[in-house]
Order: sequence, then structure tokens, then C-alpha cells
Amino acid sequence: MKISPKFVLKVAGTLTAISLVVAALLGVVNMITKDQIAAINEANTKAALAAVAPEGAAFDPVEITDDVIAAAKDYGTISEIYTMSTGGYAVKVIASGSQGNIEMIVGVDADGAITGVSIVSNSETGGIGSKVMENKPNDAGVGVLDQFVGMSGAGSLVVKSNITPISGATVSTNGVTAGANAALAAVEALG
Amino acid sequence: MNFGKQFKDGLINQNPVLVQLLGMCSTMAITTSFFNGLGMGVSVLIILTLSNIFISLLRKIIPSEVRIACYIVVIAGFVTCVDLLLKAFVPALSNSLGVFIPLIVVNCIILGRAEAFASKNSIGASAVDGITQGIGYTIVLVIMCVVRELLGSGKFGGGLLGGGGLGSAPGVVIFPEEFGIKLLTLPVGGFLTLGVLIAVMQWALAKSEKKKEAK
Repeated sequence: MKISPKFVLKVAGTLTAISLVVAALLGVVNMITKDQIAAINEANTKAALAAVAPEGAAFDPVEITDDVIAAAKDYGTISEIYTMSTGGYAVKVIASGSQGNIEMIVGVDADGAITGVSIVSNSETGGIGSKVMENKPNDAGVGVLDQFVGMSGAGSLVVKSNITPISGATVSTNGVTAGANAALAAVEALG
Repeated sequence: MNFGKQFKDGLINQNPVLVQLLGMCSTMAITTSFFNGLGMGVSVLIILTLSNIFISLLRKIIPSEVRIACYIVVIAGFVTCVDLLLKAFVPALSNSLGVFIPLIVVNCIILGRAEAFASKNSIGASAVDGITQGIGYTIVLVIMCVVRELLGSGKFGGGLLGGGGLGSAPGVVIFPEEFGIKLLTLPVGGFLTLGVLIAVMQWALAKSEKKKEAK
């Protein structure tokens, strides 16, 4: 079959024109929603920071060094680190869950023990992995995120050994545990 | 093609989920609370209607060789719009539906209706088709949610009723959660509930068919 240049032009042209229109539409919607989404994310981050720290703590951003990134890279990606005025650090980590990234904040006190874990954003399956994100009781009856409090030692947190998952949501629990390990590793690297 | 027939088709005779068996993945995955079901249903309704209108509008321009690619670009565009708007203005819904909103792109109801209906019919009829098929989908989702929520955890209207914010409301407790069939709230419960619903629908359709023949 011989393909005429006219035909190619018609096919490619139509597809390009449609893509351009859709792209323009997306640009407009993005412009409308961009600030609102950024504001919601910032509010979520603030709320998540407050949830992992002792009451009244203030936060100061810390520069993330290559050492920190290297120390945590086996578990997750460190995106932000803050010092807490009450001692220790709050670390924002991106860990991988069952349906994409889990953005979470882990508070670590001056002794290297976790003070709290909270979730900023996630796309875990509704009704399954979302239970982990909402800190629902795990199979041992403890809030699945609460069980991290007081634990220390990067890499020492292991699901089904010292971390109890929610049945059916083991992958999401794995994700959160990896994030906690990443935060501990980052704080250890900071010294 | 009249409105009444389209309406009946969308809801019953050609119900997208129970008769055409389209879009079953999301149907089983997200029907865990009333709020999720309604939110997903309305999102799909809006996207389906918009993409039907747009594709019908372009049906004479789009070369048939690349029609699927064109449809997908249009659908993906609308899905991303809805995704962004939900993130900005209804974050509770966006959080609880998560990845299933972007996944509407590959929901076969939308591509199916684009190919089977919007590409062959007028803009008006395609818009009505989007709305009626969307309502048919939403009703099935809501029925699934109500059944799974009630029998699984003894609640009604989770995410909407019972105080608390949108999406985090616990729902009205009908009976204590520990007496619920936990299985139904898990993914396997989605399969079971949908299977039973399809069976009931087929039974009802077959029965009305027989009645017509008897006349």
C-alpha cells in the first residue's frame, strides 16, 4: 500500500491540532488550580509537621547534603529536613507505596528515636492501603503509624518482625516502614 | 433515538456496568464508601459527557485511522482537568479516590461510548448518552457502596453522613462493625457484590423479556 503525503499530513495534522486544543485547555485549568493546590499541599505539610513534633515546636529548614541522600537512598528519597526547636529533626520523605509515592513526615528526637509519623499525600488504594495512611489499627490493635513512635536504628524496622501491618495492606505498610527507615538513616547521617 | 429510550438504555437495558460489563475495575475497587461511590460516579459522568460532546463534534474531522489516539487525547485531557479541579477544590475526594481518578482515562466506559456512540451520533444525542450512561454507572456504584458498607461494616453513607468533614465522616451506624461481613469491604467483596448484582440484573431482564413475549 502506498501512503500518500496528503494522507500523512491529514492524520498527523488532526492529531496535532486536537493535542494543541487539549493542551491549551489543560494550561487554563492548571492556571486556575495551581495556587489552590499549592496552598493545600502547604497546609497539609504544616499539619503533618505539627502532628509529629511535641506541641509548640518551631521548624527551621536544613540543607540536605549528598551524604544524607546517599544514606537514605536504599529506603526512600529525602525531600525536606527541618530542625525542631524541641530537639531533633522532622524529615519529609518520599517512599514508594503500592500505587505510587507516599509523601510522609517523620519526627526524630535528639536521641534518634521516632516521635511520630504522619502522611502528607498518597495514592494508596481506597479502603485497603488508605487504612495505613489513616493510621487505622493494625492486626495487633495499635494505630499502624503510632507503632513507630519510640523506635530507632535505621534499617532495623522490618514489617512482620517489629512492625505489624494491616492485613491486606502489607505493601502500603512496607512503604511507610521504608520511609521511616529513610528518615532515621538521614538523621544518623546528619549526626 | 429519543430521550426516553436513551434514558432507559443507560439505566437498565444497556447499563454500562451490569449489561455492557464495562468499567468493572473501578466499580469493584472504589465502592467502599458512599462518598467514594458518588464522587467517582459524578466524576465519570462529567468526563463522559464532555468527551462524548467533544468527540461527536469532531466525528467528521477525525480520520478513522487515528481515531483511538484522538479519543484518548481528548479523554485524557478532560480527566486531567477533573483531577486538577478535584485536587484544588474537593481535596477530600481526591485523597480518598487517589489513583482511580487518573485511571478514568483507561475506563472502558468512556472509550467504549466514544467508539460505539459519540463517533456516530449528533452532539445532542451524544451529550444525553453521556449523562444517561453516567447516571447508570453512578447508580450501580452507589448500590455497590450501600450493600458493601452496610453488610461489611454496618454503616450507611460513609464519608457524607454522621458528622465530621467531607470524606472523613464515619457514616451512620446501623449495627456494630464487629458483626459485619468483613470480607465484603475487601477487594474480594467487590467481585462477589458485583457478581450478584449482574446476576440479579440478568434475571430481571430475562423476566421482562419473557413477559413481553407472552403478550
